[in-house]
Amino acid sequence: MAGKESTLSHYLRSPTLLIIVFVILGMLVARIMGMSTLDTLMTIMYFMGIALSLNIIMGFAGYVSFGHAVFLGLGGYAYVLLVYFIKPLADLQSLGFGLGAFLVAVLAGLFAAAIAASVGAAVLRLRGAFFAIATIGLDFTALYLMKAIVPELNPEQFFGAQIILPADKIVEKDVVFNAMFLTLIILLAVNYYIRKSPFGVGLTAIKEDEDAAEVLGVPTTMFKIIAFTLAGFFTGMVGALFSLNGGGVDETLFNLGHSIDMIVMIVIGGLGTVLGPIVGSLIYFELYDLLLVHYPGVNLIILGIIVAIVVLFFPEGLIGLLRKYKVKGVRLRDLLE
Amino acid sequence: MDVSILAINLVNGLLWGIILGFAAVGLTLLWGVMKVVNLAQGEVILMGSYVAIILFAQYGLSPLIGGLVALLVGLAAGFLIYWALLHKLVGKVERITLKIEMSTLLAMFALSIALLNFYYYAFGSEPRGFGLWSIGVPFIRVLGTTIRTNILLADALALISVAVIYLFLDRTILGKSIRAVMQDAQAASLVGINPVKIKLLTTILGIGLTVFSGFMVLLFEASVTPEIAHKYAPLSFVVVVLGGLGSVVGSLVAGIIIGIIYGLSKVVVSIFNPRISDPVALSTAFIVLILILLFKPEGIFGRKR
Amino acid sequence: MEDILVVENVTKRFGGLVANNKVSFSMRRGEILGLIGPNGAGKTTLFNVITGVYRPDEGRVIFKGEDITGKPPHVITRKGIAKTHQIVKPFNDMTVLENAMVGALFGKRARQITIGEAKEIAYQSLELVGLAEKSEEFAVKLTLRQKKMLELARALSAEPELLLLDEVLAGLNPKEIEEALEIIKKVKEERDLSIIMIEHVMHAVMNIADRIVVLHFGWKIAEGTPEEVANNPEVITAYLGDPRYALRFVKRKGGEEDGSS
Repeated sequence: MAGKESTLSHYLRSPTLLIIVFVILGMLVARIMGMSTLDTLMTIMYFMGIALSLNIIMGFAGYVSFGHAVFLGLGGYAYVLLVYFIKPLADLQSLGFGLGAFLVAVLAGLFAAAIAASVGAAVLRLRGAFFAIATIGLDFTALYLMKAIVPELNPEQFFGAQIILPADKIVEKDVVFNAMFLTLIILLAVNYYIRKSPFGVGLTAIKEDEDAAEVLGVPTTMFKIIAFTLAGFFTGMVGALFSLNGGGVDETLFNLGHSIDMIVMIVIGGLGTVLGPIVGSLIYFELYDLLLVHYPGVNLIILGIIVAIVVLFFPEGLIGLLRKYKVKGVRLRDLLE
Repeated sequence: MDVSILAINLVNGLLWGIILGFAAVGLTLLWGVMKVVNLAQGEVILMGSYVAIILFAQYGLSPLIGGLVALLVGLAAGFLIYWALLHKLVGKVERITLKIEMSTLLAMFALSIALLNFYYYAFGSEPRGFGLWSIGVPFIRVLGTTIRTNILLADALALISVAVIYLFLDRTILGKSIRAVMQDAQAASLVGINPVKIKLLTTILGIGLTVFSGFMVLLFEASVTPEIAHKYAPLSFVVVVLGGLGSVVGSLVAGIIIGIIYGLSKVVVSIFNPRISDPVALSTAFIVLILILLFKPEGIFGRKR
Repeated sequence: MEDILVVENVTKRFGGLVANNKVSFSMRRGEILGLIGPNGAGKTTLFNVITGVYRPDEGRVIFKGEDITGKPPHVITRKGIAKTHQIVKPFNDMTVLENAMVGALFGKRARQITIGEAKEIAYQSLELVGLAEKSEEFAVKLTLRQKKMLELARALSAEPELLLLDEVLAGLNPKEIEEALEIIKKVKEERDLSIIMIEHVMHAVMNIADRIVVLHFGWKIAEGTPEEVANNPEVITAYLGDPRYALRFVKRKGGEEDGSS
């Protein structure tokens, strides 16, 4: 049995961490060298961000939040309303290197997290499907309520549920990039930490067999609520910065399509790992364009079929599949953890 | 407050609630018997609407025949869905763990993505319907308000269907076997009920009824767009949870309750602000959902698990 | 010696069915207590009441002098009670070692140990039940016997003082039963455990248990040493049938058939 080793050397030998660092550096280099447009990088980061956020509850704990776009929407609306109505927060956005926008996004994320925590506390006592249904219900409730409330806040300026931020209340896209980049790094760190922590082991046990986990001492309800709240928080932050990048919000942020994006990325990449959502988001980013270009109109039909095939025949996703194999006596699992 | 506005909204709520309740019957059977939540509920409903529309618009067939064909197409779709998606996941398992449950959710979710986008591809996002078609006169006056006869036809069909299903489950051997599996799958297999056969049958029945309900939804709404899936699916979930998993009568009653709550809240909200009455009324349905999950997760007609 | 567990007047109803009816017993530290009774006697329900999966309608459960009635399962596990499942519930897509680690991480020393320490505890438990060489396999690949032993290792990793074994021997062949009994005895000595075991394999439980509690239709109908219980007329009529068989169960060492109803 391996004895104790120093934490540092343990982390240095973790290929997952190296890949994460590689991805981060890659994006930074691409940004500095101007190899990709800012918009492309933002899109990739957005995809990766939502996948890694949902991964906390869906990947680790096995609870699929089918209406997870609700937190994208709540975060987006919270952010836009905060900077629209509260002048100091609008000014704060321009604080150095995107840190200001990041801080306001944290506030927006906290709002999303508060909703996640209260709904989670209500429905996560129940098992399985009820939670999935409740998140869908939550998404539609939030959508309808936004449609009802937002026009009342400023009837002259807001067209329906759409809010466009005036020029003095937004920041340069470079700055948004920095804030999103910071968010993503934290999100990666949180995912990695969970994977390696007792909390993550407990969540995985819940995913595998919740009854057994509970009897073995895993505080299942609390763990699920924490995981869901974290997932809501980070999705809210990503939604906030995504909206800032677009210069405003409308109700399409609650669209089921966003929930589809997140879920499909995790399914393709593989549940329960950190690399799964990263790889899944990169594949999805390419796949989505590929299908759109070559099969316009039927692209999403094909996507649905692909998802069905993955769920039925490769339920562990790409990374999960690789984890089971050995190459030249080396277990891929050790490399991919 | 004008009493007649209240009455109109209540009647409309009731008429809509019956449709909603019937649309959820297939869902409640699938969920109750197989622990499979049909996340493609809205899209499966639309299958019935579009089958009837194609037959009417392309082949000039009477919507009444279209409705019958929709039922048959639905039964066939149930057969396909079972063998293509569900059998591999739930066919041979006795204990549905969280993992299996989530896999079925994802599989049905994949179906919903494919179907919804197929509708957009094939039918576009414009409203489609039977135009001015109706049986007999297009409108009749009831309690000082006009009601489309198509709505009454839809409600009558829905009520008859619920009655037939109820009798089937209550009186026939096959129906009793389905209820036995719903209550205790393991015990049922001990007394010689073949679980795979029951699961297949339940899927055929559940999907078939849901597709059939799409015909009534179309009659009620007069026209449909693919987007309507996103209205009926979440409401169906609310109805099933309120009515209790697997309860056909519960589903009908819950549908009516949700319809009336919708009608009432619409009236109440319009006193304050008519512009937002519709979205707020819809969201009350989901607030009801959260409240049931919180205080009575087994539903009003369900048994405690 | 102090009583490690006291079950007082526990009643648990499911609708009209009374699964446990005013059941009371106590056990001393270091004892092995057999819990027997025909199918549907309420044995597993009683385990679920003790471990907090069910809250009893009446009565109390006292562990080491503390009232733990109705506390959630994870709290009770941390206090030092661990349980194995009648139907094995391995975490299939986790390795055998990871399975056992869950027990260690959320057991008696939850929140006080690191992943590394949990690994060591888990590995020791696997060694104890003879699964050490399988530690890197995925649990889904184990045989039934191995899965049963994994249940045991997971429970042991929680470092319990009281271990509840729910039909750990069911489905095993006579040779495997002998091995499993040896492991249970060894574990009890090394870990200084108190054990309650639900068992249908009658000769096994009669041999290993210090005392036996018999449930029938939710009632406790007898309690005592294996000899006393086997000679108790009420038990014999309710459960064991012919008294001659009852005695034979007690006397036989490792037979070829079990005495399940």
